[in-house]
Amino acid sequence: MSETAPPAVEVRAVHKSYHLGRTSLHVLRGLGFAVPTGHFVAVVGASGSGKSTLLHVVGLLDRPDRGQVLLGGVDTADLSARQRNLRRCHEIGFVFQFYHLLPELNVLQNTLLPAKVASSAVQWLARRRQQTARALEVLESMGLADRIRHRPKELSGGERQRVAIARALMNRPKLLLADEPTGNLDSRTGRQIMKVLREAGRQTGATVLMVTHDADLAGQADRVLHMVDGRIAG
Amino acid sequence: MYKLTLCLKYLLKRGLAYFATAGVALCVFMMLVAVSVLNGFVAKIERAAKGLFGDVVVSTASLSGVGYYDEFIGRLKREVPQVAGASPFILTYGILQIPGQPDFRRPVQVTGIRLPERAAVSDFEEGLFVQKGSAHPTWDPPTAEVLRRLAEEYRKVEAIRSRLGQAAGPAGMNDEQQNLWNRLDNALWFQARAIEDLRSAGARDMRIELLNAEINAADQRGDEKRRKELTERLAEEQRRMIHAPADRVILGLGIPGLSFRTPDGQTIRVIGPGQNVSLSIIPFGRALGSAEITPVTRTFTVIDDCSTDVSSIDSEVVYVPFETLQRLNNMAEERSAADPNVVVRPARCSQIHVKVAPQWSRGAKLLEVNRLIERCWIGFERDYAARNLEVASTPVMVETWRQRQIKLVNQIESQRTLMVIILSVISFVAVLLIFVIFYVIVVQKTRDIGVLKAVGASGQGVAAIFLAYGAAIGLVGSLLGVIGACEFVWNINPIHDWVARTFGFEVWSRETFMFEKIPNEVGLTTAVRVVLGAVLAGVTGALLPAVLAARKQPVEALRYE
Repeated sequence: MSETAPPAVEVRAVHKSYHLGRTSLHVLRGLGFAVPTGHFVAVVGASGSGKSTLLHVVGLLDRPDRGQVLLGGVDTADLSARQRNLRRCHEIGFVFQFYHLLPELNVLQNTLLPAKVASSAVQWLARRRQQTARALEVLESMGLADRIRHRPKELSGGERQRVAIARALMNRPKLLLADEPTGNLDSRTGRQIMKVLREAGRQTGATVLMVTHDADLAGQADRVLHMVDGRIAG
Repeated sequence: MYKLTLCLKYLLKRGLAYFATAGVALCVFMMLVAVSVLNGFVAKIERAAKGLFGDVVVSTASLSGVGYYDEFIGRLKREVPQVAGASPFILTYGILQIPGQPDFRRPVQVTGIRLPERAAVSDFEEGLFVQKGSAHPTWDPPTAEVLRRLAEEYRKVEAIRSRLGQAAGPAGMNDEQQNLWNRLDNALWFQARAIEDLRSAGARDMRIELLNAEINAADQRGDEKRRKELTERLAEEQRRMIHAPADRVILGLGIPGLSFRTPDGQTIRVIGPGQNVSLSIIPFGRALGSAEITPVTRTFTVIDDCSTDVSSIDSEVVYVPFETLQRLNNMAEERSAADPNVVVRPARCSQIHVKVAPQWSRGAKLLEVNRLIERCWIGFERDYAARNLEVASTPVMVETWRQRQIKLVNQIESQRTLMVIILSVISFVAVLLIFVIFYVIVVQKTRDIGVLKAVGASGQGVAAIFLAYGAAIGLVGSLLGVIGACEFVWNINPIHDWVARTFGFEVWSRETFMFEKIPNEVGLTTAVRVVLGAVLAGVTGALLPAVLAARKQPVEALRYE
């Protein structure tokens, strides 16, 4: 990696407030940091410190009120809604605490969802075999090869989260954002998921930004960002 | 691609969607059945009117009729190339009786038609029993053909009677079954006699000839007793003789007393081909004082029967040879007593029925041809007036079948419009149902919408899922509705008969609705329109929920619990 290469994620003096009626909640208060490409960064902090909001802003699900978010050196404020959708589809993968798998779809179909979002009907017909092979490869690497026809309700919590990670990795994203991926799992399963995430990041070269409450898991990251009251502490 | 995948998944996996689909199917079913039956009515009126009168009718305001009709028909064919054929027609009134059954008297409309010319202006031949579909129906069909059809009819009635006997079982027949058995027995007796009369027609003619000779001889001898005896025998033979083609009649199939219908809808002929009826005709063809009107009675042999499917016509109309009725109705040519070469009054008809070439037989084109015929008539009348010849003593009208039936057609079309409005209001409930169901689905799927947006789906893409979902519900629902409606409409008559038999409740009254059967055709255009309407309703119902889904913020959607 060249030293002049821009960081995968760069956050500059970002502010974000939520308005609930007359009450205003200032969640991010001018925080800034940079994550080099390929790094595994854990974000820790108390509940309400703004960790998830930070992830949403970095993942282009939300816009900051002030400040800049640069992905690969590109200021996301300049992106149109369509370009933001495309970036989310092709360059960013999300893993949520509650998995958020679509109950009507089976494991394979859930994994293929980002690939289908990325393709028109005609493109899908052309790429279907290739994309299915890719999904099977990812699911196999997650140890889910024998569960591809199962629906989410037929899986354990750990299996569901591995499907969610497979879905996030499907389009080979440059940035993997995980919002408390082990928060809904027991400690043993949580460790397995952490291992899977680290392995995925290492194998794909993706930058991983993971929000967690668990200090032990955070300790396994390349770097830990402590958030206190909407700012990076220390 | 995800839109199609999710749309199909939601369609198959969401139980709520089944209710919306069922609602759409029901609305489509109701709409299609109602519109098909009412459209069928209008189509039947058109078919019946064209079958009876052709496309255009030339008629006078009075019963005195139109003269020089053959000359006018010739001129019409020369001057109006759109005319495919034309034929004169006489309409008058009379009393129908059955020889030997003095208590049976039935008022009927007596019509005079030319055969086979009639087939060129209407589809009269399609409704015939013996000569069904013949391109050249005649007053003198081959006896073998009449006998063949009568034998078929006889076997049919026998089979019905046999089934009735089997259905009654060992317990015996109830009153209704016994009554039906007696009526079938009576029909078989008449049919058997008709077959016998037709087979022995030649021998009977010879017997009549001999009896006439013997009566003459008895007359000459002054043997009054013998003469009376022979005259009675002659009358009996004449009651059963087969008359010459000029004295034959085609009965409407449905004249009460001459045929009847079994509870399962089979028509049974009692008086039919091979039997004689007498007609007392009131000769309205000439302007006479009321004291001068004397009915003319004549015996005719029934040679066929005709069903137009319009019960009000089939139960009242009989058809006799044009020239015969012309004479009986005082419409024949009158010549001067002083100079037989001078025509005092030309032969006349009541109406002239005109058939128009198929490509000109509808809508504005038919009206255009109607105007041409009217113009042709005006020219014809003017030319004859210039020669001091009167073609009609009262004003002549040239009208299309639709103009003649306008009251009836307008009434049915108004009913159809009213029905469509009422059902459209009911169908609006289906739109509301889809809206509510989709609103619930969008709320239930809030987190899924967040996930879709997180993986890059656009707002339009999310909206498209729900719009396609709505359209799919409209399409599937309407296809189910169309299948159900087709099955129902195609079998509407057996279903109606079954309801009438099982529950004793007759929805369809032939007398009220004029037609023998409920229209049972579904128009392709109607079906396509209803399907498109249902798909549009589905999309409309889904529109607002789809917009709400599209506008959901992904962060809020993902946090929704």
